[in-house]
Amino acid sequence: MDKLLKDKKAIAVFVLPAFILFTLILFIPICQSIYYSFCDYDALTKPEFVGLKNYKNLMIDDTMKIALKNSLFFLIYSCVTQLIMGLILAGLLTNIEKGRNFFKNVIYLPCVLSSAALGLLWMFIFSPKLGINQILARFGIEGPLWLMDIKGYITLPMWVIAFVALWQYVGQSMMLYMAQISGISKSLYEASYIDGCNRVKSFWHITLPLIKPMVGTAMSLNAIGSLKFFDLIFNMTEGGPNHKTEVLATHLYTQGFKYFKYGYASAIGTVLLVLCLIMTFLINKLFKSENYEM
Amino acid sequence: MKKKVLSVLLTVAMTASLLAGCGSTGAADSAPAADASSDTADTSADASSDTAASGDVEEITWMFWDDLDATEDLISKGYKEVIDRFNSDYEGQYHVTPITTNLEEYYTKLNALVASGETPDVFIVSPGPNLTTYVEPGVAADLTSYLDADWKGSFSSDAVFAQQTYDGKIYAVPLNIAAACVFYNKEMFEEAGATVPKTWDELIDACEKIQAAGHTPITISAGTAWCLSMLAGYLCDREGVDLTKIESGEESCNNSKTIDAANKMIELSQYFQPTAAGDTNDVATAGLYNGEAAILIQGSWAIGQINGENPEFEQKCGVFQFPEIPGGNDPNRVIAKSDSLAMSSTTKHPEAAIALMKYFTDDTAQKYTAEVGGKIPVTKVEYDASKAPAQLADVMDIFTNASSTFGFYNESLFSTEAGSTFDDNMVAIYLGEKTPEQAFDDLDAWYAANKK
Amino acid sequence: MKSETKKISAVKVLIYIFLCFMVVIYLAPLLWVFSVSFKTNGEIFTNPFALPESFFIDNYVFAWTAGKLGIAMANSLFVCVITLVLSMFLGSTVSFAIGRMKWKLSGLVMVYFMMGMMIPVHCVLIPLFTRFAKIGLSNNLWGLILPYLTFSLPTTIFIMTGFFRSLPNELVESACIDGCSIYQIFGQICLPLSKTGLFVTGLMTFVANWNELLLAMVFISDDNKKTLPVSLSKFVGPYNTNYSQMFAAIVIAIVPTIIVYCAFSNQIVDGLTAGAVKG
Repeated sequence: MDKLLKDKKAIAVFVLPAFILFTLILFIPICQSIYYSFCDYDALTKPEFVGLKNYKNLMIDDTMKIALKNSLFFLIYSCVTQLIMGLILAGLLTNIEKGRNFFKNVIYLPCVLSSAALGLLWMFIFSPKLGINQILARFGIEGPLWLMDIKGYITLPMWVIAFVALWQYVGQSMMLYMAQISGISKSLYEASYIDGCNRVKSFWHITLPLIKPMVGTAMSLNAIGSLKFFDLIFNMTEGGPNHKTEVLATHLYTQGFKYFKYGYASAIGTVLLVLCLIMTFLINKLFKSENYEM
Repeated sequence: MKKKVLSVLLTVAMTASLLAGCGSTGAADSAPAADASSDTADTSADASSDTAASGDVEEITWMFWDDLDATEDLISKGYKEVIDRFNSDYEGQYHVTPITTNLEEYYTKLNALVASGETPDVFIVSPGPNLTTYVEPGVAADLTSYLDADWKGSFSSDAVFAQQTYDGKIYAVPLNIAAACVFYNKEMFEEAGATVPKTWDELIDACEKIQAAGHTPITISAGTAWCLSMLAGYLCDREGVDLTKIESGEESCNNSKTIDAANKMIELSQYFQPTAAGDTNDVATAGLYNGEAAILIQGSWAIGQINGENPEFEQKCGVFQFPEIPGGNDPNRVIAKSDSLAMSSTTKHPEAAIALMKYFTDDTAQKYTAEVGGKIPVTKVEYDASKAPAQLADVMDIFTNASSTFGFYNESLFSTEAGSTFDDNMVAIYLGEKTPEQAFDDLDAWYAANKK
Repeated sequence: MKSETKKISAVKVLIYIFLCFMVVIYLAPLLWVFSVSFKTNGEIFTNPFALPESFFIDNYVFAWTAGKLGIAMANSLFVCVITLVLSMFLGSTVSFAIGRMKWKLSGLVMVYFMMGMMIPVHCVLIPLFTRFAKIGLSNNLWGLILPYLTFSLPTTIFIMTGFFRSLPNELVESACIDGCSIYQIFGQICLPLSKTGLFVTGLMTFVANWNELLLAMVFISDDNKKTLPVSLSKFVGPYNTNYSQMFAAIVIAIVPTIIVYCAFSNQIVDGLTAGAVKG
């Protein structure tokens, strides 16, 4: 038995194909990308080592500052709103019987749809001549320029995009919390009702503490997802107006594939990578240690 | 024992991959490292690589920025006809396969092909910094000798090659010219009692009257940044801004002329439609042909779209030249833009490629350009003016009377990114995010940081 | 007691009102795009919210044929199915080796694969793009399949390892006694018992790749090889955008997913959630 399970040849057969693929497509390119970030490199020339120049330029790049700000805004916004909305929806849905599946499935639907298509769709909805502003105009309200306003520290278009992202992905958080809530034993609630708790109280004292580990899971999904965020922004504003809605991923794309500054784009990529690693580490620290209590 | 073998194997795999990584980064342009080739041995048969095996037909490729089948653009449709005509006329001798992308991704894809040594034999390119990128490393071939042989004489003048010439050598052939003009709604002008403006003050006056008559004077798009930037470019040029001096660093971007131009843009912006900041190019153009606004400043390519979407508007649509700013530069200068074809310097079939390019500039194609496409032909071709869109005659007038032409500002700066930065700053001025001084200072700072 | 039930039902009513409001927010945009897609360009600008005057099917015909959405859908299907099959296979072999077999480096290899979960695809975009361009993998559907496969492996391995570990030891033991080879134990005993895991991981892989935009946009330029999300941008021409056909294209892009979703919504939602919980 042990001999069978220690069969080195079999292990190699099982592991090596995926291992090689992973190394070729992920590990080596990551190393390459980090190397490129220290190079002057554009589409038609060879990479030339220039040390920290790209990173120095990043420090003074105004668009990079906006992109970083927006990415962090996005990260915080999606973690907070997904947590709150996800919990509210999960709480409500576990408390009704009729139509639970219907509501759940409708809210989850956008999660499986193409965010490229949904981005285009929302772009039209928020465009001045076609979308909600036309409805508002019927009531005599002049709607704002949803995707073109530039006022404020976080501009209106960022809030709009963040709203669409919440709309699209809140279903996932909701489902995660619902899965956890339905795993909580009914007897706990019954006991609490006997002790005089109402539903809101029992939600607060029983449900919340027990789904804490799931909050960690959902948060790390949200955090990494929001740092990678690209499709919706690309199809809604392409980073405009005047780079006000640029995030790290779109900035990288513009620099790399519109202006062909491969070296510079790689430096942005490295910053993104470091952020992702930090976020994963932080969330693991905050939540994973308590995972064993369940 | 076996354990050791495995761990050795894994270590070897690890280090080998690391080495492969470093090695290939060090010499990224050497032959593809052996690592990934195993997965791909059987898949690398690319459509473009070789189908030339069939007989002695010379296969060439032509790369273009619009989908020839899905397009609504009349000029693109004309190109499709040229390709079809070429393929049937030269059947058995030459054959061209189009590679199409959309405009957004065009240069990305072209660069990828160039980097992989599969430069398309003939490719379309915008004159200006984009063409320069291909001329400098020797990707685009010198076409002077072919043109001098028997071809150049058919073009309307040598001036059409101005933007394609580097050190006296011509690297690309223009196919058609679009001129940026001011389109206006004749009915609305009449109703408001406005006349066609020749000077800046008259333009403001006309806008004033149209507004008083209850219409939106100007429809423009700041959502599509280059549209607003075209207006800014005209204003700068009329004020007498010398772009070459700014490019060479002799003059600062922030000077009295650019500031004046920007202030004029702000003055004019009170006559824009209220949603200008968010409207895209298409929506702004629709504003003119749907009768919502009186004036549209746009390239003459818009003619096809205007007449196509609202045929009734063709007769109502007038054209005039961008007005003069008294005390400024020559008022007969016109913004012009051409589609140009370049040939790969590494093409194996230069004859086929030249033959194809000649098809784009032959009488049939150029007639189509004028009569259907609504753009200015580059050759001396005779075309039936009655078939051509009504507006073309006016555009032709403006163009032939032009003292000289200049490119779009955003396509005349040293790099694409410089152009976008200019556009973005113009939008920022319009949106009130920056004062003109701030915007041009920012441009200066950008130049200092990015220009080598 | 009576007032108590009344109070609860009042709360219930409020809950239902809120949920119906949510449903409107979720379905209205989709219904709107559906209605607009039957309009002509002129109608869209003049009256975007009215029902279409007539059912102008041409948009769909045009988007499907000239816009090559049919081809794009076939491409998407090809890429996603191949990726799905390969990732299930490669992922479960690795998971079996890690989860059930005994070797020293298994923990380390697991960490190596899990690294992939944290790495955004953007970071490898440029090296992959330049490399693929050189070896003929750019503009090639296999050039999409390889990275898709790679990026779906970590989750697959994570989930499948969990499944294999949860299988009872006795099963493997008795199989050994019966004289099964290790490959038979994997293929004939453990794998069939992990069907749920395969379903979950397969679903996640498929949905993610079906909607992937960035890689497909960068790697593919040939119209005949574009995948569905990328094809949508085709209607943006050099100087004008074809709105009505773009709307038809959006509908074509999302309707197949919606149909499949409606048919299997419970399995899909539960499957994806199960995947996310474990992932």
